[in-house]
Amino acid sequence: MTTVDYGGWLINELSLAVSDLVNPSKRVSILYFASALFFAFVLFLFRYGKGAPRRLSALFSWRLWWHPSARVDYALWLGNRLILSLLFPKVITTLGVVTWLMFQLREVGLSPLAMTIPDWSVIALFSLCYFLLDDFSRFWLHWLMHRWSWLWAFHRVHHSAKVLTPFTVLRTHPVEGMLFYGRSLLVQGSLVALFVTLFPGQVSLLMIGGVFVATYVFNICGANLRHSPVPISYGKTLERWLISPAQHQLHHSAAVEHYDCNFGVVLAVWDRWFRCLQFGSDQQKLRYGTLSTLDQTGVFGQYLSPILFLGRGLNGRQAGLIKTTLVNAGKAKARETTQAKPE
Amino acid sequence: MKKTLLTAFIGASALSLHAQTYDFAVSLPDYQGDASSSVSYGGQIARHALHNSLKKASKSGDLALMESYFSSKAEGLSILDPVSKKGFAIKQSSIDELSKGKDLKSSAYPGTITGWPGNLTGPEVLQQMVTNAANTKGGYDPVNGYDYTQLISKFTMGAVFYNKAVNDYLDEKLEADVKPNDKPYSKGAPYTGKEHVWDEAFGYFGAPINGLELTPKEVVQIVKLNPDYFAKADANKDGVVDLKTEMAFAHAYYAASIDASGKTDYFHTILQAFYDGRSVIQDAKGKVLSAAQREELKGYAKVIGVAWQQVIAEAAFKYAGSVYADLEKIAIIEESNGDVKKAYRNYVKHWGELKGFALSLQAAGRDLGRTQSQLDRLIGFSPVLFGNAQVVAANSKGEFTQSESVTMQEYKLNMLKVQNLLSSHFALTAKLNDRTGGMDDVLEQLKSGPSAEND
Repeated sequence: MTTVDYGGWLINELSLAVSDLVNPSKRVSILYFASALFFAFVLFLFRYGKGAPRRLSALFSWRLWWHPSARVDYALWLGNRLILSLLFPKVITTLGVVTWLMFQLREVGLSPLAMTIPDWSVIALFSLCYFLLDDFSRFWLHWLMHRWSWLWAFHRVHHSAKVLTPFTVLRTHPVEGMLFYGRSLLVQGSLVALFVTLFPGQVSLLMIGGVFVATYVFNICGANLRHSPVPISYGKTLERWLISPAQHQLHHSAAVEHYDCNFGVVLAVWDRWFRCLQFGSDQQKLRYGTLSTLDQTGVFGQYLSPILFLGRGLNGRQAGLIKTTLVNAGKAKARETTQAKPE
Repeated sequence: MKKTLLTAFIGASALSLHAQTYDFAVSLPDYQGDASSSVSYGGQIARHALHNSLKKASKSGDLALMESYFSSKAEGLSILDPVSKKGFAIKQSSIDELSKGKDLKSSAYPGTITGWPGNLTGPEVLQQMVTNAANTKGGYDPVNGYDYTQLISKFTMGAVFYNKAVNDYLDEKLEADVKPNDKPYSKGAPYTGKEHVWDEAFGYFGAPINGLELTPKEVVQIVKLNPDYFAKADANKDGVVDLKTEMAFAHAYYAASIDASGKTDYFHTILQAFYDGRSVIQDAKGKVLSAAQREELKGYAKVIGVAWQQVIAEAAFKYAGSVYADLEKIAIIEESNGDVKKAYRNYVKHWGELKGFALSLQAAGRDLGRTQSQLDRLIGFSPVLFGNAQVVAANSKGEFTQSESVTMQEYKLNMLKVQNLLSSHFALTAKLNDRTGGMDDVLEQLKSGPSAEND
């Protein structure tokens, strides 16, 4: 490749990243920013009347959007785009996995169901199963990332955000990005293979405007507020079933009492099942970050941080725990906190 | 008043229907001859008749007979297919009535065909198939798993008709400096250079001139010479079906048969583009085409090229599904210790159709990139044979060498991959005989691309 080729690739990838802002399948789409704002405003208007605009004012501060932590979010977003574009074509494809799995399922004797089931039932069943499996697997992987030190080493990049903006959702280490890809490959591969074997030619996802209906509703109803300075609680009754923005902000809280809670994405039932659900509040005032030097680290330091973190752990007291790969990340986090100099 | 309006409406409808017929008046201002139509593609229809006849002859074991239709350019050849039958009279019975001195071999794609053993060019592959077919009974070679009738027929359609149309007439011959529109194609001809080039491509597609008025199902039945559809076929009501203007051949038939599933409209899409493109040339009234007109023409040529390629890919997709089903049947019969002879015969036939169409995709100078090598590897040089062997090479005499391969059951997985590959690369819609359960459509819905969204 010549310099011109590299330049072309760079511009193409960066423009694709920016095009996420108008892509309705991406959470950072402007459409969802706007809908989240509208959603929050209506809810606050209903709850606090004239006080509603004041509660949203933090979202309109340049101090938030140009905070050093937010700038690291942007850099990781664009940097990951470049790194993942190099990795993705080389990794195994979902289509390949589904094809192979479906073939194996047929070989062990699984065949299309003998009875005729209407298309809409298959679509509804597939969409429901996909939603549940996808949401649970996200929860579980997230839970593991806090539980296993060598996974936490990568995930703490996300938690090092000192301010939360909608772009914090993209503040991710590329290795974690690959883990997300592997999770999605496994979930999509197994579920699609099973369904197309049982219901060939009938399987489809319930879509709105080219996006899975659950993703669309989740995003349109303010998913972007999860990573924002605006705490919105759904009230205890609803928060037993759905994770509110305030609950996710608790998950990001630097306070020890909030460690390892609310891992869920959409449903709160998984957190209840794993006994780690905490309720949020519109009034909560939280401090975010890992309370380690990572919170002040720039983008390159963030990329290298897992190596340093694991190296330190292997040389120090954590070595034995890492070997068992069953470190309680809450404790690990707390240990970090006590080791780190307070700001 | 109402009646007058209705009459005017019917009149206008009839006129618009008439206008959709692929027939155009002479546009050359200085033309002195008697012809009223400028459309002529007798040579292409002659080759269609040669191809149909060669397909029949391929089962005879008579090399001389096959060669006469394949490469001889001989006069006095009778048409072996289609021939008149009760309730379906055909106007022509000899090749000469369509055009003289034509053959198939000299028009085949001259590039290397990577999907066939021996590093041969298009004409060489066809020649080898024809020669080998003469040494078999009924064009069937059970040892190597070749149905030459299918291989010859399907590959000829691609290497000759598809290649000449999209790789020649609708490509380089649309440039400004070749076959200009302000001169007769040849001295005294009633058509211009560009008119004839476009018409020759239309002829190779193989549709009747009133195709836009026919449904895909009607086209299929006309090709099958179904007497119930004779009236539909005989558009000019002269009591016979003229092969030049009233019959469908080759890929036009396959386009219609795929469209008959109701999911696609390849036949009419291609025909409409041919008609609209020809109208652009006609509107130039025998003058040189402007750059804008040629661009418009190239736009129609692109529509034709893409849809034509999709038709071939859809056909390959369908037969990959048939091969998969055949292998399932063979496994079931083998389990019960039954006779697999008939199932194996069908397997070889369907594989021949799959291979013929897959080879066609690479026989028109279109860069298929990685898809070409993937198709070659997944399908192989032959079907997987009993004993888990496949043809891996051929010598200069056209004798094949076999070697150990995957099992027949594992070969089914290859067929699934072939269907996925064809579907994604060529953006297929009809996908007949789909054995993948429609997985690529579901995955398309789930597609997210490279991003690292956290929770």
